[in-house]
Amino acid sequence: MSDYGMSGDELEQMYQEVILEASKHPHGRESFAPDAAVEQSGDAAAANTTVRATHEYCTPGESHQFNPTCGDEATVHVEVSDSEPHTIERLVWDGHGCSISQASLSVMVDLVEGKTVDEAMHLEQVFHQLMESRGAGLNDDALEDELGDAVVFQGVSKYPMRIKCALLGWEGLKDSVAKALAAKN
Amino acid sequence: MMVDFKAIRDEFPILDQEIHGHPLVYLDSAATSQKPQCVIDAEANFYRTINAGVHRGAHELAARSTLAFEEARAKVAKLVGANAAEGEEEIVVTGGATAGLNLLATAFGNASLGRGGEAAKRFALKPGDEIVVSRAEHHSVLLPFQELSYRTGATFKWLDLTEDGRVRTDNLDEVITERTKVVAVTHVGNTTGAITDIAPIVRRAHEVGAVFILDACQSVPHLKVDFHALDVDFAAWSAHKMYGPTGVGFLYGKRELLEALPPANFGGSMVELAYMDHEAQYMAPPARFEAGTQPVAQVVAAGVAAEWMMNIGLENIEAHEKTIAAELLKLGDIDGIRILGPRENVDRIGTVAFDVQGVHPHDVGQFIDAQGIAIRVGHHCAQPVHRHFGLYASNRASSGVYNSVEDAQALVEAAKGIRKFFGVE
Repeated sequence: MSDYGMSGDELEQMYQEVILEASKHPHGRESFAPDAAVEQSGDAAAANTTVRATHEYCTPGESHQFNPTCGDEATVHVEVSDSEPHTIERLVWDGHGCSISQASLSVMVDLVEGKTVDEAMHLEQVFHQLMESRGAGLNDDALEDELGDAVVFQGVSKYPMRIKCALLGWEGLKDSVAKALAAKN
Repeated sequence: MMVDFKAIRDEFPILDQEIHGHPLVYLDSAATSQKPQCVIDAEANFYRTINAGVHRGAHELAARSTLAFEEARAKVAKLVGANAAEGEEEIVVTGGATAGLNLLATAFGNASLGRGGEAAKRFALKPGDEIVVSRAEHHSVLLPFQELSYRTGATFKWLDLTEDGRVRTDNLDEVITERTKVVAVTHVGNTTGAITDIAPIVRRAHEVGAVFILDACQSVPHLKVDFHALDVDFAAWSAHKMYGPTGVGFLYGKRELLEALPPANFGGSMVELAYMDHEAQYMAPPARFEAGTQPVAQVVAAGVAAEWMMNIGLENIEAHEKTIAAELLKLGDIDGIRILGPRENVDRIGTVAFDVQGVHPHDVGQFIDAQGIAIRVGHHCAQPVHRHFGLYASNRASSGVYNSVEDAQALVEAAKGIRKFFGVE
């Protein structure tokens, strides 16, 4: 990749091996949600496969996230324990998108499955903070340790157009957990 | 005439820079074109020397400003073969192509509610009437007219596309019927780059008494366009895609139709007599459609852009960009890359959309950008076109007069490395 000179370094910083690998074989991806983007719609017959319908499709522990500029979508499905402290017992997702969004979903699954909801929401906040750092990182070793592999997305935070890609899955996690908890009350 | 396109490129100061350590290669002119120095100067000089309100006030600057504004309108009219003589103007200043198309849809809606009197009835829609577009439309054609169908109860129909993304004209009699009142079709697909064979569509529309609207955004900057010869009733396009400023566009209408069309926006400078207790009397076109303070500096600069294009010669621009299109189409020879649109360099412009198998457009765009090359990624505001190709988003390279064959070659070379980098080769 050194062929790409200076820009190649920047590109490598963004597309770290962890990201490229995770995007090719993402963890937690299962096939369970209707696919809004690839439907051959535009016809009345396809009206039940619109994004709106996909939002409606979601069960209490699910959240459909969609990025209209690129068509990336992810339906995040979470199962939370009944007993307190609530724990994320199962986390899967269905969707498609760019390597950043796919890798971020994969890394998120590895990071939060089995954690308590409070821990997961804390990690969501820390990751959000990382993505808002404009490439600078968190400057806090303890916090960066907590994020594990998710720190590789620091390079992405330099590119405002791509931050949304990295956050797609995490937004889905936040929303689906809130829905799952609300359904228990 | 031999044109020195290298010298033309040098007129664009923005192109003289490096991006990520590479000389900038700008291949996103379908989104917006860059501006030559003369256009940049025209806007600034207007503010330095003649800025004043137009069509109001009696002081000298107001007079000069009005003159400059109307001169610009005349230059733009000349570019597209429209009338510009006082009282015969066929060019309306708008905020852009989107604003122009919405103006039409709103005015037709007003006519459907009975506004504009007897003359406006030709634009009125009711349940059972039909509006026809094509699947190739940009959202700014699709949505205003789809909304108009919902407001009026008219049926919304469309012309489908051939496999390579051209608007089908083989079943016009089926789609455009005696009930069709409005037909709106793009001149050049903003994703496919395909030039629509509009002549039979215009003929059929007129045969059934429908109004024909042309989206000229992607044709006026690249081709010699004559609205009278094309016999279209209305046409909308933007200045910023034809080397002019953002925030301004133009709506062409046949004079008799503009005179019959009720206003869509209301306010200052479009009304002759306004009262508290009965309805106003509106001005003749184009003023009727130009409510509020106009973007005068931008219109003046757009006029300079039109003149600049005519000085180069639209035939020359077209021929030059054809050589770039030929080079861009070589993207289709790369393993795993599919062109979305006509593969042959016939009846198309230098706008070439492509899909890289296994690599998402955002990743493609990032990879290409790292080499200083600007292309567009996403759905290009044309989601139904992408569904036609079984995709949600794509990558699109599009030429401008300042591009060289080397620019296109740089993209093709860069594109060869995409699938390897992302490990899908």
